[in-house]
Amino acid sequence: MIARIHNIGQHLFGVVQRPMSAAFRNADNPLDHLGALTVYFCWIVLVSGIWLFIFFRTSVSGAFASVEYLTHEQWYLGGIMRSLHRYASDAAIVTILLHIVKEFAFNRYRRNRWFTWVTGIPLIWMVFPLGITGYWLVWDDLAQYVAISSAELLDSLPVFTDSMAGNFLSDSLLSDRFFTLMAFLHLIGLPIFLVFGVWLHVFRLNGPRINPPRRIMAASLLALLLLSAIYPAVSHNEANLATAPQVLRLDWFYLHVFPLIQQWSPGAVWFLLVGVSSVLVVAPWAPKGQAEEAALVTLDYCNGCERCVDDCPFGAVEMVPRTDGTSYTHQAEVDADLCVSCGICVGACPTATPFRSRGALVPGIDLPGRSIAELRAGITESHDEQTRDRVLVFGCRDDNTTRQLERAGVRVIHVNCMGQLPPSFIDFALRRGHAAGVFLSGCGAGNCSYRFGADWTDQRLQRLRDPMLRKRVDDSRIALAWKSPWNAYTDPATALSAFERSLRS
Amino acid sequence: MTILKEMLAYLVFVAIVGLLSAWPDYKLLNDDRAIISIVFSHAGQRMGDCRMLTQEELNKLPPNMRKPNDCPRERYPIEVKLLSGDSLLYSAVLPPSGIWSDGKSSVYQRIEVEARRHELHMTMVDSERTSGYDYVLERTLDVQPGQNLVIQFNEERKSFVVE
Repeated sequence: MIARIHNIGQHLFGVVQRPMSAAFRNADNPLDHLGALTVYFCWIVLVSGIWLFIFFRTSVSGAFASVEYLTHEQWYLGGIMRSLHRYASDAAIVTILLHIVKEFAFNRYRRNRWFTWVTGIPLIWMVFPLGITGYWLVWDDLAQYVAISSAELLDSLPVFTDSMAGNFLSDSLLSDRFFTLMAFLHLIGLPIFLVFGVWLHVFRLNGPRINPPRRIMAASLLALLLLSAIYPAVSHNEANLATAPQVLRLDWFYLHVFPLIQQWSPGAVWFLLVGVSSVLVVAPWAPKGQAEEAALVTLDYCNGCERCVDDCPFGAVEMVPRTDGTSYTHQAEVDADLCVSCGICVGACPTATPFRSRGALVPGIDLPGRSIAELRAGITESHDEQTRDRVLVFGCRDDNTTRQLERAGVRVIHVNCMGQLPPSFIDFALRRGHAAGVFLSGCGAGNCSYRFGADWTDQRLQRLRDPMLRKRVDDSRIALAWKSPWNAYTDPATALSAFERSLRS
Repeated sequence: MTILKEMLAYLVFVAIVGLLSAWPDYKLLNDDRAIISIVFSHAGQRMGDCRMLTQEELNKLPPNMRKPNDCPRERYPIEVKLLSGDSLLYSAVLPPSGIWSDGKSSVYQRIEVEARRHELHMTMVDSERTSGYDYVLERTLDVQPGQNLVIQFNEERKSFVVE
């Protein structure tokens, strides 16, 4: 059931991903940086918001007039800033939504990743009130509608005795203090909680990516500026409590739930909001198969080099004082509550080498569920003279490319993440004649299920990161499906065939 | 070519953002409709009269709690009705707030009506009476399209107010 929902999610995400992958074939794809892009849009909102606040007047009579001044008289700066403020806020909702769908569809929220998933839910509950209070401050017809509807929603909670919504039905009931309160919430109160929430959201991640690549930052800012110049954000008529707004241009990103307050009831809307949030919160614990075992340290082979600590994307490995009395000062220790069983630590371990001939192949750190001994067996099995010309395919188990290859009848040696594959295994496969070439099928940088698997693999194979691929290995005999020129093929099986042809030529 | 595709992707993205940030329009109210809002808080009368304590009863109380009256806390719910001509627009019995039912009763109601002349008849009962009304408003008003007519209760004048 869960797997089917994931498949549907992957299909839906694919609707967006396929054209984006086609457009960003060799460049930074924004879909690979959705979380960081959301944070970046928040920065744009902050900077533009500071400019708007300089001119904003927190009073019933001054709020609308000051926003109108910014929009029309200071259109060249204030107007652009206002539009940028709105459109960056809206863009953040798009990236948040895509971020949630992507992490869910690709199963990146379960097991020990629950913390990052669950701490993301309150962020949604902060972002929407932040946007909604922003619309109140303009104090136009839309603000009047938003104020009344929001108050009706709050009034339905059994907390307030007097009706809050009643304050927005008559000028005699509305005071300037209301704008001071809204400005405080919008400018200080909610943003402080949001910053804390983002910190908590990435708390368990090792080396969280808070900023997207500069190319994406520049391009998205330019695009938003262009939109602001062509289609500037404007107000409705000034709020008039003696009238009821008849037609509104709603910002559907933030205000989509408001029509439901009138169509259904405030209670039904609360039920929907709390219900959806509750489902999201408990989603990581929905039953799904057997949990995988965490990485296991074997002290006999651990030399305390710290590479596993450096490479673990989730901060699940740390160095602790040695306990076995050997001359090494430290040893690796795995926190099973944080380990997601990606195996990237195994790929970083210098003792994880298939060339070892004596004794069992046991590295300093290994995955009990998919050990490197099994990996070596996958390379050496069915080895005969014919296999010398074959291409050995290693594939991430969570990657769609891998599944496509398997559907095409290609034999794939699975790794939990491409980062689990130590470069020495490629050397081993080629040098011992198990294959003529090695094809790596993985999620790709920025899109890796385990965050850094593709990055670390790239760097290890380019001999930029330990453990490095040995210089004696011919790079032309290695193909990375997510990198140029092989990512130019829409069908990975075709890319594999092209690679095989390149080896023969 | 790749750059053009990338630019196109960004333009499609901001086009979607721009489009959904103000479109499609949302129609709250038809052109010939208006809103009548009833909003006020009012405390119903207490259930039972205050009773003067006897000197003997007062002597039994601590010196700082010797109030001559003993008044029950619980209040009556208020019953509010609004009619336009013969058609009932709103009717509700609103309980007092508070765990001891000693607080004010509150009403907040937005009623969509046709924009035309309305003969409004608003009543409220806040006591134990079973016939008649404690407060009545009779008013004939020309309600304009898109108007938000607010009916409140003025506690000082003890009467309904229409804004």
